[in-house]
Amino acid sequence: MIRPGMARIRLVLLCVLHFMWLEAAAAALSFDEVTITLGEDNRIMLDAQLGYELNETASDALQNGVPLTFETHIQMRAVEAWVWEADTVEFRVRNVLRYRPLSGLYEVRRVGSEDKQVFATRASALRYMGRIRELALINRAELDESAEYLVRLRSFLDIEALPLPMRPMAYISADWKLEAEPWEWQLRP
Amino acid sequence: MRTKRLDVMATVMLVVLILSSLHMMSGAVQRSEALDEWFMPLLLFTVTGLVVLVVLVGWSLWQLLRDYRSQVAGSRLNLRLVIMVGALSLAPVSVVFVYSLQFLSKGIDGWFDVQVDSAMEDALALSRVSLDLHKRELLKLSESLLDSVEDSSQAALALTVGDLRERSGALEVSLFNQQGQVMGLSHQNPEVLTPSPPTRHMVQQVSSGKNFASLVPTRDGQLVVRVMVPDPKERGLALQAIYLVSDTLNDLTTNVQEAYEAYRERAYLRGSIKFSFALTLSLVLLLGLFAAAWGAFYTTRQLVKPIKDISEGTRAVAEGDYETRVPMPRVRDELSFLVDSFNEMTRRIAQARNIADASRRQLQAQHNYLGTVLGALSTGVMALDENGLIETANPAAELILGLRLKQQNGLALAGLSRLDGQLEPFVDRISEGIRQGESGGRAEITLYREEGRQVLLCQYSPLQLELGRPGGHVLVFDDVTELVRAQRDAAWGEVARRLAHEIKNPLTPIQLAAERMRRKYLGQMDPEEGDVLDRATNTIVQQVEALKTMVNEFSDYARPCKMESRPVRVDDFVSEVMALYEGQQSRVVFQPGAGSAAIEGDPVRLRQVLHNLIKNGQEALPAEGGKVYVTTGLLERGGRELAQICVEDDGSGFEPEMMDQVFEPYVTNKQKGTGLGLAIVKRIIGEHGGNIRADNRESGGARVTISLPLRQTHDSDETSMSKQQTGARS
Repeated sequence: MIRPGMARIRLVLLCVLHFMWLEAAAAALSFDEVTITLGEDNRIMLDAQLGYELNETASDALQNGVPLTFETHIQMRAVEAWVWEADTVEFRVRNVLRYRPLSGLYEVRRVGSEDKQVFATRASALRYMGRIRELALINRAELDESAEYLVRLRSFLDIEALPLPMRPMAYISADWKLEAEPWEWQLRP
Repeated sequence: MRTKRLDVMATVMLVVLILSSLHMMSGAVQRSEALDEWFMPLLLFTVTGLVVLVVLVGWSLWQLLRDYRSQVAGSRLNLRLVIMVGALSLAPVSVVFVYSLQFLSKGIDGWFDVQVDSAMEDALALSRVSLDLHKRELLKLSESLLDSVEDSSQAALALTVGDLRERSGALEVSLFNQQGQVMGLSHQNPEVLTPSPPTRHMVQQVSSGKNFASLVPTRDGQLVVRVMVPDPKERGLALQAIYLVSDTLNDLTTNVQEAYEAYRERAYLRGSIKFSFALTLSLVLLLGLFAAAWGAFYTTRQLVKPIKDISEGTRAVAEGDYETRVPMPRVRDELSFLVDSFNEMTRRIAQARNIADASRRQLQAQHNYLGTVLGALSTGVMALDENGLIETANPAAELILGLRLKQQNGLALAGLSRLDGQLEPFVDRISEGIRQGESGGRAEITLYREEGRQVLLCQYSPLQLELGRPGGHVLVFDDVTELVRAQRDAAWGEVARRLAHEIKNPLTPIQLAAERMRRKYLGQMDPEEGDVLDRATNTIVQQVEALKTMVNEFSDYARPCKMESRPVRVDDFVSEVMALYEGQQSRVVFQPGAGSAAIEGDPVRLRQVLHNLIKNGQEALPAEGGKVYVTTGLLERGGRELAQICVEDDGSGFEPEMMDQVFEPYVTNKQKGTGLGLAIVKRIIGEHGGNIRADNRESGGARVTISLPLRQTHDSDETSMSKQQTGARS
């Protein structure tokens, strides 16, 4: 779980260093499927399937025991909300992918829960990692029916979760910019 | 000053903050978890701080170079000191950096010894082999279990699966059909009612007839072997068994795995670790360098400041600003002593300058006083230096001598006679006195100027400015001409008055007695005696009349005249007088040349003058031929505009021995003259403020020239004057 203060600082860092990143690895992550539905209990549900594809640098690091942390950031805010207003809904789903050399298996651990799965293949581990099933965003009754809301999904490799010695180079290297194109959708309750 | 202090404090604070940031970064690199997430912000802060420090150093450097190019005082010394301190700081820091980096690199490389690497690989391989062996055993066991199942009906399987689990000692055993349905489940924990679902990969592998065995960790970190085998009897069944790994094997495996993973990760991160340490070390190096550079700039500025201030102070003093003071340094050392001495020096110079200024002002005041006094004097004052050159001459001297001496630089006394030859007697007498080394002297010198005789009463004495050193001479002279003339005129006038009075008294009785005698005895005497008496008495009466005339003239000369001045247009006036001399045989010619110039004068007295001069001229003419010429004109002399009336004749001219006495009373070459005519003329001209001069023409004949000051006319006066002239004619 990341403290809000650190999250803001990290955002500043990202803004400062963003100009140094290249576009080469932008296609490593993608939102293959995103569905927003209204559940039976009047809750707005989110289902998504992200596609993860590791480049050679990330693969090499993974194979050498470096855990990779991927974060999916889900936001929902009113379209006409001011910049300083808080989001209506905000979730951060963080998964840590790790390779176990002894067993040859790939372990996926969901941060903040006891959920830990092992997979024989990397592809199945990545697929599992990218799966979001029936995530309840908010009860519809809590929304302003006259307003329009923007749902935004972002997914990226968390460089700050990498081992400290790797971070300076990771910030300035395009190979570590594993980020999906943000997915946005406007909805009216 | 306060702003500079704040700048210094801010820079020091910045350096301290950067240092603290580097310290924390170093802690983070050394795997301090508390600082781990602050590494990048600290790195960014450090880089930003260093950039600010670089800017500060660059700004200081730019200022120094600018001052150096502008040759500001102290800039050269400052630059030298900065270079020296910079070089002294850079060399050791660079050496330490290079060697530290080398040691660091070698130290990190030392962690990853080939033998260690090999040992880790071997340990992992050994663990794998051991686990593989275990997995194979469990596979075989699982196969045998499935093979031992006789009845493959669901009911039988549900009952058999428990037995199978107990026999195998597995944690969980489950049976699946080809469709993947659970045919039976037995778990060590009876509360578990659903089997661990096999993964797609397991199902695929088993479906293809292959066994599956894998070592997987559970949620609580316990290792289990998960096995799935197809039915060797091809009844469409598959058996999944999960076996717990023994605690010992579990621990060993976990340890080997964790150790290997940690080693592997660290080996992978070797380059990054070296880079992180090198980065931190480089930042420390840069901080050290730039902090030292900034410190060098600051320190040298403080050291050089007093010298710079003194240099600027010296420049100000050289430009004449003696009030400048150099601020004292805060630290009391040799430089503060130097500054103190400089300030004391300038203070004394300023004092001396002020005293000199006061003396100069005093001298100037005295000079002005002396100049004013000398300028106001009617006595001429002239100062000569030791070489006889004229140093000063007051306006009265110029007026008396008739020269503009101020325009003559370096003029010697002897040069006066070159400028005006008529001053030669004056120059000779004074020069003679000076040459003979007289301690002082007086002289009455007579000069013969164009205006007439000029008598100067001179006094000269030596000047001694310094003891024993001659300083020249000072001349003081007065024009006593008028005084002498006035004295003489007064004396003559008194004589004339007394003489007239004493002589006139007996003349009448004498005349009366002669006439009585003539009346009484002329009729009684014989013709011869009567004739004698007649001639004698006539002679007495005539001579008495002549004596009376002479006495009256003496009385006129002695009596002061009353002037009735009015504007007189010169040409018109002379023309009026000339009218009396017009005629066919007139031997008087008038040539006007004064235009409309006018003088202020008494026409009656001026008429007397003109008649006297014309009469003299006529009397001097030969019997046949010759004329008297009267001309008028304008001239400028001594800055004054003058009207000139000149009366010339074709006579024999003045006798040379009489030339300087022509205007003296009782001087005449006429047998019947009283000698007062020209004296009276001169007095009248003098009363009009003019000058009269008598000389002989080059072509022969006498010439008398009168100069009278012009009147300053206005338009209204022009009209008034013309009316007066008209009135006078009518």
